[in-house]
Amino acid sequence: MNGGYPLLTHEIAERLVVATAKFPFLGQIGVQDLLALVEAELGHGEILDRFCIHHSYARQENGKPAIIQMAKAVPPRSILHVMSGNTPHAALQSLIRGLLLGAHNFCKLPSSGLPEVAEFRDALPRPLCHEIELATDLPTKWLDEAEAVIVFGDDETIAHFRKLVRPDQIFVPHGHRISFAVIFDDPLYESPRLAARDVSLYDQQGCLSPHVIYVNENGSIDAKNYAERLSYAMADFNRHTPRRKLDAASAAMITNIRTSYQFRAANNHGVRIWQSKDSTDWTVIYEEDPMFTVSCLNRVVFVKPLPASLAPALFPVRRNLSAVGIHPATAQNGRLLARYQGISRICPLGRMQYPPVTWHQDGGQNLAPLVRWIDMECDQRAKPPKTDELPLGGLRKVV
Amino acid sequence: MEHSLETIESLERAVAHFMARPDLAEFESLALRIYRFQFANNTPYRLFAAQNSRHRSPSRWEDIPAVPQDAFKHATLIAFAPSAITSTFRTSGTTGRGHGLHHFRDTTLYKKSIIHGWRACGLPEIRRLVLIPPGHLAPHSSLSHMMSALETLRGSQQFVTDDNGAPNFDRLVTLVQSAVEPVMIMGTALTFLHLLDYLDGRILPLPEGSFLWETGGYKSLRRSLPKTEFYAALCECFGISSYNIFNEYGMTELSSQFYAAGLDQPHRAPPWLRARVIAPDTSHECAIGDTGFLRIYDLANIGSVLAVETQDLAVRHESGFVLLGRDPAALPRGCSLSSEELLARADLTS
Repeated sequence: MNGGYPLLTHEIAERLVVATAKFPFLGQIGVQDLLALVEAELGHGEILDRFCIHHSYARQENGKPAIIQMAKAVPPRSILHVMSGNTPHAALQSLIRGLLLGAHNFCKLPSSGLPEVAEFRDALPRPLCHEIELATDLPTKWLDEAEAVIVFGDDETIAHFRKLVRPDQIFVPHGHRISFAVIFDDPLYESPRLAARDVSLYDQQGCLSPHVIYVNENGSIDAKNYAERLSYAMADFNRHTPRRKLDAASAAMITNIRTSYQFRAANNHGVRIWQSKDSTDWTVIYEEDPMFTVSCLNRVVFVKPLPASLAPALFPVRRNLSAVGIHPATAQNGRLLARYQGISRICPLGRMQYPPVTWHQDGGQNLAPLVRWIDMECDQRAKPPKTDELPLGGLRKVV
Repeated sequence: MEHSLETIESLERAVAHFMARPDLAEFESLALRIYRFQFANNTPYRLFAAQNSRHRSPSRWEDIPAVPQDAFKHATLIAFAPSAITSTFRTSGTTGRGHGLHHFRDTTLYKKSIIHGWRACGLPEIRRLVLIPPGHLAPHSSLSHMMSALETLRGSQQFVTDDNGAPNFDRLVTLVQSAVEPVMIMGTALTFLHLLDYLDGRILPLPEGSFLWETGGYKSLRRSLPKTEFYAALCECFGISSYNIFNEYGMTELSSQFYAAGLDQPHRAPPWLRARVIAPDTSHECAIGDTGFLRIYDLANIGSVLAVETQDLAVRHESGFVLLGRDPAALPRGCSLSSEELLARADLTS
């Protein structure tokens, strides 16, 4: 073998789900979900294993095509994943994709660590567990050998790696993203606990963490009441899942923002603030002004009335938007938001932190950008090809 | 409105007297007098302070409620009639969130604070070459106002700037090369970085006993340069010790300044200016050696608010604090976007 694993796609998928089942935050991932991901992005569930019919052309007099174009997807032999320390979710999904393709995976972990990645590797059956290498530094060999480089991080990190990659290497950056939620209706105030979960999980560090919750003040709910209910839910969540301890700078950011809004609340009826007592654990700020406000993170969330059009409110952050959690999660409500520039995922409130393995991260495909293609055009008039007689890529099991 | 028998003039006289003949035991009573005056006459401040019953009648200067720095952006913080405003200084707005405004009815005490503060902190009164525009070219800049106020110090002062206020490095080089007596070159940290770029490795030795005076950050330069490297470059270029570099820590929202000499040295204050390093989680003062944010009490801030809570981090020191600033390295990183980063980005595109 030329590196890679002697396994077919469905055999890899069967082994992957053994490990993913041990990480509930990844959601339920079945073999069929993984094969569906391959099919959705690459056109055929077995296209990584063998040549599949892609197209036919040059029709003859009898109407049958003279030429059949076959295609096979060739994964990178190795992928370098540069992880950020925010959430394990994005890191594990990236590794799952790399393994599913059949690549060897170099994983540069953040210096602060990301223990779930090693736990995931250890939960993988052979031979997959041997296809992940972990380090908190970056061995030069990794960057030299990797055929694809996937980077999660801030602008500076992405710019750094963009400079390092060679023209022949595939480069997939995942930069800054921010998310928000919209409550279209909730007369019984049942959704604040869902919103509290989305805000609080991973201490708001992930790109799918909402910074603002817009409330559609349709007569049955109003934003200020919603903010108060959300504060109870934030406190409840914090009781069973306390926030991590913060460094002085992060805690100071929260204290500063609280004092600032306390001043504004005292001088302006359009602002109100709820906060954890004697700690910086959580903060809910109601603000009448609908302009999107970026949180200082660590469980600080804004609640605002939903304006007639969100476009002006979202304008400053339009290039960095990611997900919108909505409640109720109807297609009709979703379509109302899909028209806004930058939004790439609309999902039920409470599920924001659990994107399915088939999601289009940052609005793009996840497997397709990593593969290269071999096309083979066969003349039907000679001898019809049998797919199992066709040459296979060197990375996978020959069947 | 609650009435106070105290007048702004009587407080200004009392603080001016304190500046001339400081008696540390008087700091607290003066601070509480000013607080009561401001509570009575500064409506946005009173509304803020009255939210917390503990704040309404503090008995110690440490308990005087501090407004957040950005309150100057959201309200007109004055303890006198708006019609009496004669000068307004504007924050730089470098964080992209608009300008804060600090209004004065009279800048006499402000100027006294600058001069007395300079002397109280032991800065030398030698010839000054100033790379910051004078007050008349930037009437809303508190830094330019300060530079003009410093003209009354002993030692000559020269603004080495063009008609539009931009620093004139050619002229500075000529002046320094012909200098025989010690000089102090004064500028923002950003200007010094530009000066280093301009000199491009050339050295510009200063006469023995000379100083540099720098203030402010250089974030907007869009390049990362640790302060140790910045000071090392300055020392090498000008042939001085880092102890001959003064850092001024001040802000538009205040009327007085802190000074530190050398790298990682504590900032010191004149007797009418105090700072507390506050632990963000508890809002209590940090122990010596611990990190928190700065809460500043400036008796010269009579017409606005004497207690201001900053966003700057510092380590509490036995004789003051060691400034860390708004440490971006300690802020949340990764795929979520913090407000500071977003605003920094907005600055890049504005």
